[in-house]
Amino acid sequence: MKNDNNENNEFDVIIIGGGITGAGTARDCALRGMKVLLIERFDFAAGATGRNHGLLHSGARYAVTDKESAAECIKENMILRKIARHCVEENDGLFISLPEDDINFQSKFVESCHAAGIDAQIIDPAEARRMEPSVNPTLIGAVKVPDGSVDPFRLTLANIIDAKAHGAKILVYHEVVELLKEQDRVMGVTVVDHKSKETRKYYAPLTINAAGIWGHGIAEMAGIKIGMFPSKGSLLIFGHRVNNIVLNRCRKPADADILVPGDTICLIGTTSSHVGFDEVDNMRVTPEEVDLLLREGQKLAPALATTRILRAYAGVRPLVAADDDPSGRNISRGIVLLDHETRDGVAGFATITGGKLMTYRLMAEWATDLACKKLGIEKPCVTMTEPLPGSRSEEPMPTGKTYDLSNRIKRSTVGRHGDMASRIASSNELDNSLVCECEDVSVGEVQYALKELDVHNMEDLRHRTRVGMGTCQGELCACRAAGLLGEAHNCAHQAKADLAKFLNERWKGMYPIAWGEALRESEYTQWVYSGICGMNKMEEE
Amino acid sequence: MKFDTVIIGGGLAGLACGIRLQNRGFKCAIVSAGQSALHFSSGSFDLLNELPDGTAVANPEEAVRSLDPKHPYAKIGDQFAFYAQEAKQLLLDSGVEVQGDSKQNSYRITPMGTTMPTWLTLADFTCLKNATDVIGKKILLVNIAGFLDFNTKFIADAFEGNGAACKIVSVSLPEFEKLRQSPTEMRSANIARILENENTLHALASRLNEQASSCDVIALPAVFGLSSPAPLQTLKRQIPTPVCIVPTMPPSVPGIRTQKRLRRVFELAGGFYMLGDSATTAETGDGKVYAISTVNHGDIALRANHFVLASGSFFSNGLWASMDGVREPVFGADVDFDPNRNNWYNASVFEPQRYRTFGVATDERFRIKINGKVQDNVYAIGSVLSGFDALQEGCGAGVSLLTALYVADQLKK
Repeated sequence: MKNDNNENNEFDVIIIGGGITGAGTARDCALRGMKVLLIERFDFAAGATGRNHGLLHSGARYAVTDKESAAECIKENMILRKIARHCVEENDGLFISLPEDDINFQSKFVESCHAAGIDAQIIDPAEARRMEPSVNPTLIGAVKVPDGSVDPFRLTLANIIDAKAHGAKILVYHEVVELLKEQDRVMGVTVVDHKSKETRKYYAPLTINAAGIWGHGIAEMAGIKIGMFPSKGSLLIFGHRVNNIVLNRCRKPADADILVPGDTICLIGTTSSHVGFDEVDNMRVTPEEVDLLLREGQKLAPALATTRILRAYAGVRPLVAADDDPSGRNISRGIVLLDHETRDGVAGFATITGGKLMTYRLMAEWATDLACKKLGIEKPCVTMTEPLPGSRSEEPMPTGKTYDLSNRIKRSTVGRHGDMASRIASSNELDNSLVCECEDVSVGEVQYALKELDVHNMEDLRHRTRVGMGTCQGELCACRAAGLLGEAHNCAHQAKADLAKFLNERWKGMYPIAWGEALRESEYTQWVYSGICGMNKMEEE
Repeated sequence: MKFDTVIIGGGLAGLACGIRLQNRGFKCAIVSAGQSALHFSSGSFDLLNELPDGTAVANPEEAVRSLDPKHPYAKIGDQFAFYAQEAKQLLLDSGVEVQGDSKQNSYRITPMGTTMPTWLTLADFTCLKNATDVIGKKILLVNIAGFLDFNTKFIADAFEGNGAACKIVSVSLPEFEKLRQSPTEMRSANIARILENENTLHALASRLNEQASSCDVIALPAVFGLSSPAPLQTLKRQIPTPVCIVPTMPPSVPGIRTQKRLRRVFELAGGFYMLGDSATTAETGDGKVYAISTVNHGDIALRANHFVLASGSFFSNGLWASMDGVREPVFGADVDFDPNRNNWYNASVFEPQRYRTFGVATDERFRIKINGKVQDNVYAIGSVLSGFDALQEGCGAGVSLLTALYVADQLKK
């Protein structure tokens, strides 16, 4: 029996996965009074959560093919605008028809949008060109919908911050290596700490598998098969915002037909191809995918042909085949909640998967409702109205141009952290000096992230602050940030290794698109770090 | 405008070539777009640190014999040692104080505190005999408060790994307060500007002397002397403890000074340096180039008997890569590259990268080709050339200097 139980390793619910689904579920469970443990093997948003368009779907994309998903999307869209306003940009979206598209599709599209509750308005192509000057001027039709942009890193972090504030214990860089089973019940998990290499056991009456595509392997630990199909989606990031309104094609969903502006950049995506489970940890964007994304992207906004590409990356969607269709032909993009007690006869274990970034809150609500039922808790969900940390202030979000640098830094930090920005030191010159000139990241912001936002390495820091995400992709700011990291963790040696790792990660996203300006920048960065600094591959370990 | 020679590119290669030619009585013009690699350099000049297969090189003069015939050094051939000596002499004659030997690589200190093999090192810096040598046993490691491009913790970590003990201090002086009020001003070149002032240097010296009692060497960031070595000499005179300078992250203050010095020497010798201009097109025919046009000079073409292409690699826009190829923008010179983009890169950033070996194709005398036809009077030198990976082999500065002088000696009046 489990005789090593104590207050520190017993929880009401254990959540596996620190993506948006896990983070949202942790928050919801914590808000409903549960004692929560969340386990993530890398950093928050390290999987599909951080590797997508960052599109605040209106649902219009699914209106024709999947009414249920479309209705979920528009509902969640409206909720996120309220509870996560510091993560959202209310950009609107256009669905354009080009001469090669069937204009008759438009009326069916608009009808389906209205049926799903989406405010879709047909507008004149000339009006569309005026609203969004970057749009392909040959368009023959346009429909305006309430699309937007959402920053998945900020959104995940805001959920984590609130879960913690309500008592949740969060373990990053911890990996579940075993589900503890007693007869037909999952009792808890065995976890290995990637830093210390130590192993520990944690117990809870319910374990929720929210591990995205990796949830396939987690379920297998309990001897359960989920018909998951890893679907790779590749995207390209451009160096600045070509468009201010989300651009989509008004046709059945296809490859590379969404261009999303977000923060300082814009993104074209995605491709869609099945990959093997052996590849999901090591996604690479191929030259063919890059060519396809560019070719299709230019049809939405011709200016992309001459816009600098910053990097290419790919994520893996956790698509799930219906249980009665093991072949995977009938794959849904909707939410899948599996109670393994009723489905497989394994109690104390559930899987929440499928779905989308957009519907994470609803996924969390479903999973938490199930947890409440299992644990006998009667407390309603409040996440549809309760704002996330960062979005609680009534003040308007900063907008517009400013040329005063200290104001610019302030605007950037408020933009990234919402009302949490007040926790960022800015009282003296050092706090205000810039680490990253492309993205206006100050020493104070880096130190806030190091102190309060679970930053273990440079990649974590990048996700919290945008250090190294700008046009230079970390040329000099990487070294400055690594210095601050080394100081905070009091280990220069580790920080140097981390810097080497970070540079390699940046390169992996750059080489698929390394020509023109991107190659110039890459050559310079390699020159600085390999040439002048003498860094080499040995330093990564 | 008519010259004996027009050189495109005002970096290390272009300037060395221009100085040599002026000294030989040629009338030269250099068209320079602006900053060159020297602005971002390490403060040392590498000749050959590694063979393409990864073998470490101790004696470059010996090792060049095993290089592939396409390597620029192979084209210089038996005269490699001669030109290495000439290059060092050109720097010394120009007032760029360097130490080092082409028969025996020495070691420079990097901004990370580690060591790297090198050929010539500026007199500001310490030149070590072995990779694991230290600059002292007890080191006072100093930074200017708020200067983020010099990381004393990283440097101390490396120094201590080789057995030295480090004491880290951060100095703030009232003179820097103004810089610090602006978030982007605490950069090496701006700090160097403030440290040109004698009173500031004196204040710094006394602060260092207070701290240095138990140390045998003081290590400082390379933020001294944008125009001359004088500030460092002034500082050293006021500090009894030996002072050692460690490179910073770019921009490189000693590199900027070297660039300025070489340009001055070229101009004093009568050369014409067109700063902030860039070559656009060339007038060609019969296997010859007659003239080039530049942005600033519009339709006034620059005519010359010889042209030297010293425009650098991708970073300097001497080469331009598109999705499906690499071209040389001024002459449309033939470029050696692999047409399959899949082969351009290695997925690990610290491995050799194939794209870095791409460059302008030349004959055995470094003359460029256009559509396969050798151009009689156009030569290419430095990093625009193909056949080497300057970063992996550690040979960028050496290729620039040696090809510059070799080509300068090929030209006939």
